[in-house]
Amino acid sequence: MNKEKESIGKILLGKWNTKTIIGIAIGAALFGVLMNFGSIRVFTNTSLSTAMIIDVIVGALFGPLPAALAAFCGNVIADLIGGWGFWFDWSIGNGVLGFFVGLLPVYGAKLADGVFEVKHAVIYAITVIVGNLLAFGVVTPILTYLFYSQELTITWGQAFAAVVSNASVQVIIGIPLLFVLAKRNAQSNNLKKED
Amino acid sequence: MQDDRLFINVKPGKTFLDRLTGKTKVRTFFSLIFLLIATWDIRLIVPLFVLFIIALISIRPNWKKVWAVLGFIILVNIFNLLLMWLVEPDYGLNVVGGSTVLWRFNSFYMISAETMWYFLVRFTKFMATFLLSLVFIQSITPSEMAAGLYSVKVPYKACTIVSIAFRYIPDIARDYQNIRISMQARGLELDPRKASLMTRLKQNVTILAPLIITSFDRVGNIANAMDLRGFGKKKIRTYYSEHEDTKGDRIMLPVYTIFFLLFVAVVVCNIVTHPAYQVWCPWITQP
Repeated sequence: MNKEKESIGKILLGKWNTKTIIGIAIGAALFGVLMNFGSIRVFTNTSLSTAMIIDVIVGALFGPLPAALAAFCGNVIADLIGGWGFWFDWSIGNGVLGFFVGLLPVYGAKLADGVFEVKHAVIYAITVIVGNLLAFGVVTPILTYLFYSQELTITWGQAFAAVVSNASVQVIIGIPLLFVLAKRNAQSNNLKKED
Repeated sequence: MQDDRLFINVKPGKTFLDRLTGKTKVRTFFSLIFLLIATWDIRLIVPLFVLFIIALISIRPNWKKVWAVLGFIILVNIFNLLLMWLVEPDYGLNVVGGSTVLWRFNSFYMISAETMWYFLVRFTKFMATFLLSLVFIQSITPSEMAAGLYSVKVPYKACTIVSIAFRYIPDIARDYQNIRISMQARGLELDPRKASLMTRLKQNVTILAPLIITSFDRVGNIANAMDLRGFGKKKIRTYYSEHEDTKGDRIMLPVYTIFFLLFVAVVVCNIVTHPAYQVWCPWITQP
């Protein structure tokens, strides 16, 4: 039991080797670029963004905390090159979302070994929706109030738009993508590691 | 996604701001950006705005690129303001504290002087933020950024994440171009005159998948190269790009300290006085 718990904690943190660091860096760069150039605007400062897929991939390959960091850094980079001002509340919200989306390895979807089944897809869809609601429905409005002490009407609208658009991108594009990634990794990986 | 929009320098330039150490650049940037986020007072924003324009001129950027980006950003910001107005036309009532109707369309849509004032402040604020980011990106190299972040006690592995991410942005642009060209060679029609907007959007998605996959395939190579050079073996790290303080750094030290103190003053002042309306406006007296 104790051992089991320990291993979950380890999966949550991810392995902090050079590979993970580079993975986060590249994820953040792609996130930043896609947020700016790979998105369709739906509401003020919110858009149907393909950047949301990066969370999924980093999470699948490296775990939740790396996904959170990649999303957070990526959003800061997007703000830096985007020119709509810096919104650290949204960056942190994206980080929280990244954490939830990146929970993939925790419930057994090991993309690196090519494991992704229908049951994982269902759990994935649920975590995506819960994560989005929590990140943009709870965390971001609280932080917006604390950091910018702004009126929340616009933030609620943005949060609603963000939850709907992000969740739909992550479910509609994310699930087929995860199946493809799993299949691809399974093909290249039919050798077993010996102890 | 054109090359000219993603300008990241890898070689340091020759102007005053370029020759500062990464430490000074990063610290100045952070104190200014915090100040800009904290304040909604146009009396503070406009001088900063002018200062950033001078800074932008002083680093002698490629004006053609700068104008292209600026035009795009101005459009995006105006579009955002328009959407805000559509959602809540009387936005100024809560943040500026008044609603002087200038023009009324119907019972909901109207233009009030306070809303327009708020939009003006917001626009100036975000343009100032953007100019600051532009000057920052144009005058810093990725490794100077890592060195600067390290000097404000960010763990060096996190610094490496940021610097590699920045270093990788031009590579993404290059890969995108390469994939696009090879896709076109296979018969994918991306010419705006021949394919409709919807099909081009769909085809851009087909470029995205190989872009993401090649990017993540490269992780292993870069990680091996860095491991071979002993990355992450020691607790501390020094940076080759971080040179000794020059005269410019000694001049900038009090400058960024003052900006940081100003930021603290603005935050403390907001907490202590807790103004009823966030945005200062010349014709409205705060209660």
